[in-house]
Amino acid sequence: MSPRPDAGRRRSLTLGAAWMLAAALPARALERPRGPVVLTLTGRLRMPNEGDRAHFDMDMLAALPQHSFSTRTPWYAQARRFTGPLLRDVLAAAGAQGTTLRLVALNDYRVDMPVDDVQRHDVVLARLLDDRPMSVRDKGPLFVIYPFDADPALRSAVYYARSAWQLRTIDVL
Amino acid sequence: MAAADDRRAVGEPRRRWTWLGLVGVGLALLLLAAAMVQTRQFALLRQTVQSSDDFVVLSIYQAETEYLRLREQWRVAATEPAPDLDALRLRYDIWISRVDLLDAERPRRLIRASDEFLRTMEQIEGFIAAADRALGPQPVAEPSTTFLQAQLPGLEALGPPLHAMSLGAAHRVAEQSEQRTQAVREQNQISLALTLSLSVLTLAFALIALNQVRQLRERRLVLEELAHNLREARREAEAASEAKSAFLANMSHEIRTPFHGLMGMLSLLRETGLGPKQIDYLRTATESADHLLAILNDILDMSQLESGRMALAPAAVDLRTLLRDVEALMRPQANAKALALHIDADPAVPERVVLDTTRVKQILFNLVSNAVKFSDRGAVVLDVRVRRDASAEGRPELEFVVTDTGIGMDEATLARLFNRFVQGDNSRSRRHGGTGLGLEISRNLARLMGGDITARSRLGEGSSFTFRLPLEVPAEPAGDAATNAAALAARSRSLQVLVAEDHPVNRQYMAALLENLGHEAHFTTNGEEAVRAARERAFDVVLMDLHMPVLDGVGATRAIRALPDRARSTVPIVALTADAFEQTRERCLVAGMNDFLTKPVSPEKLAASLRRLFGSPAAAPERGDQPAAPVLPQAGGGSALIDEAAIAMALQAMPRERLASMVEAFLGQGPQTVQRLRTAVRDAQPLELRVNAHAAKGAALNLGLAALAATAEALQQGAAHLPAHEIARLVQRYEELLPATREALVAMGVLSGTPAPAAT
Repeated sequence: MSPRPDAGRRRSLTLGAAWMLAAALPARALERPRGPVVLTLTGRLRMPNEGDRAHFDMDMLAALPQHSFSTRTPWYAQARRFTGPLLRDVLAAAGAQGTTLRLVALNDYRVDMPVDDVQRHDVVLARLLDDRPMSVRDKGPLFVIYPFDADPALRSAVYYARSAWQLRTIDVL
Repeated sequence: MAAADDRRAVGEPRRRWTWLGLVGVGLALLLLAAAMVQTRQFALLRQTVQSSDDFVVLSIYQAETEYLRLREQWRVAATEPAPDLDALRLRYDIWISRVDLLDAERPRRLIRASDEFLRTMEQIEGFIAAADRALGPQPVAEPSTTFLQAQLPGLEALGPPLHAMSLGAAHRVAEQSEQRTQAVREQNQISLALTLSLSVLTLAFALIALNQVRQLRERRLVLEELAHNLREARREAEAASEAKSAFLANMSHEIRTPFHGLMGMLSLLRETGLGPKQIDYLRTATESADHLLAILNDILDMSQLESGRMALAPAAVDLRTLLRDVEALMRPQANAKALALHIDADPAVPERVVLDTTRVKQILFNLVSNAVKFSDRGAVVLDVRVRRDASAEGRPELEFVVTDTGIGMDEATLARLFNRFVQGDNSRSRRHGGTGLGLEISRNLARLMGGDITARSRLGEGSSFTFRLPLEVPAEPAGDAATNAAALAARSRSLQVLVAEDHPVNRQYMAALLENLGHEAHFTTNGEEAVRAARERAFDVVLMDLHMPVLDGVGATRAIRALPDRARSTVPIVALTADAFEQTRERCLVAGMNDFLTKPVSPEKLAASLRRLFGSPAAAPERGDQPAAPVLPQAGGGSALIDEAAIAMALQAMPRERLASMVEAFLGQGPQTVQRLRTAVRDAQPLELRVNAHAAKGAALNLGLAALAATAEALQQGAAHLPAHEIARLVQRYEELLPATREALVAMGVLSGTPAPAAT
């Protein structure tokens, strides 16, 4: 994949990819959460599981393919290991069909992230820090994390701001 | 002054190069500084991005915000009977997560870890430790309303320090931002200064380079001028050298005239009945004189060769006659040393060749006499042959090889043999005499002819000198056959000779010479008459004096050459002159003359010239009949008044009585000549003076009247520029010499005691 295709083509590609993802899982409707809800998706979803929303408990997220990497961040002195599903898998599971994700944290912190980010980077929805669940005190339970160490371009205020922690809701726009 | 300029001219570029170097170093340093500034700017920018202190400020601000929300919720929970403990716990946890961030490294750095900060952090930690007993992950107490109320003051006490922290961070960041701005401004100023300096230096560099170019151009101009001056100086030096050569040639020529007198006196002295000791002294004196004469001749040749005035006069000659002449002259020398002398000409050598007889003879004399000189036994052989394969372009060359069985030379001697003043063997040089110029002159002459002289030798085994020159055979077209026929005829018949000579005594003298040679002489007294005579009658040859009234010899020659009748216009013309200068000779040849005779004209010279023109020695058959030595009456002594050699030559050509009458005639005209000279002086007519003096000189030379000739020549030479009293003195001297000369001639026996009546 060329790293920088022009914007229009990239967008249609992204939509196409999202549609195909959705089309690939037509029969598997999103199951309903059995434990406490840790993440809620709202907005343009094809497969909501609770009204027009998609609720996830920790088990549902753990059931998705897991991804791990170590990276340095501005929030910790050392590099830490983050583990969790790729954000794009989470979106696909809910049949998200948008161009922008509005991330909302427990403290009402909110930031917009282009869907493009999750296609271009392996953005992880981390649920484990150094292989252990994160409490709210540890900026858990969910932490959107970019692979900062994999790409120097990511080490900027823009991406640090998009790395929402204590993630509560994703509004697909 | 010029030297000082030169020094400055040399010093300045060096200083300029130093400046250029300094400016160059300055430029390099500036560029380095610019690079450093850029690097620093880049680092500064990166630091800004990396530190993200703004982000930290946001964290602190959020920590305070979260604190405020927690306090609000806590206050509500503390007053409610059934508070939402989960929500409170969540809020509490969120706040703690924010507080944790404050303890990270970067915020510490930003807030400078002051005591106040540490106290605040301790206060916060204290509160958290207390609250965690009920709200922490492992609660030990019930989060009852009482508990919440009990902790509320602790929570509320955190407000002011947190707010202060937030404000402090904000101020700190603002400060930092200001610092950064300041730094950037400074950087910009430095950059600007650097750029300015760079521009100034570049400008300076360009100016210096420009100046350098200008200096180089000026220097080039100076050099060009210098070169011009040098050329000028060289030209002047060459002119001076040429003048010196001419002077040398003139001097040697002048010295020769009295010297002949000296030698004549020496030979007369021998006849005066000397004792054996005196004869021995005389022999030594004569040898010295011969030697001196040889040196004079060499110097004359050398100076002419050096000044480039030596001109060759190649003519068709009979080679075997030439060889006979060489043999005739050399045989006595060889016989004296009991050496065999062989001269062999290869049958392939043509009979007639074109070359300068005098000069070729001179070379052969030199080579053969050297061979004789350096051989004590055996033979000297002169081989003449033609080489066709020899050298350049296969042109045939005439080769004369002189081989001897003498002492030979080693390599070193051979190597410096042709150098000036070098003689074959220093130890023998005194014994053999010579100027050491002979070989150099010979080689230079040979080279002038387009040939060369080479030598081979081995010590003790003799030497071999090879003289070669391009072989030139005279072209013999139909016209020449007639000339040859005429030449052949000339052998049997006497020649019709036209003599153009203004001086009566010279006319008599030439008449005697020609008569003696068996030719018929016709006279004219100036150039115009000569041209008229040559037009009206066919002559075999014209003898043309150069200095004549009305029309001089050169002018007459041109006029004759311009005659419409080809037979008349091609008559051979021989110049007669008292000038031995090469320029005079060239002038004659250029004007179309065929030969050139210097006065005194001896019978041999005249005969040789006629031989050259008509290719036959038979024109002077009487020569053999004449006594070899002039019969001169014994006399008590002579003086420099008389050129005895010339008298002797004249006596070869005519009987004493005839010479006496001619001398009488000349001396008899003396008073008239003096009168004419005086008139010319009085009327200030240098030309008239010169013409008269020249006429007197020519006649006096022919008659051997040396002192009169010398005085006449001094008058002729000085006519234009000597002061009047000097000229008057010379005329006076000429007048005084007339009786003195007569007395000397009487004493010599040439004249009888009383003046002839005709002369007075």
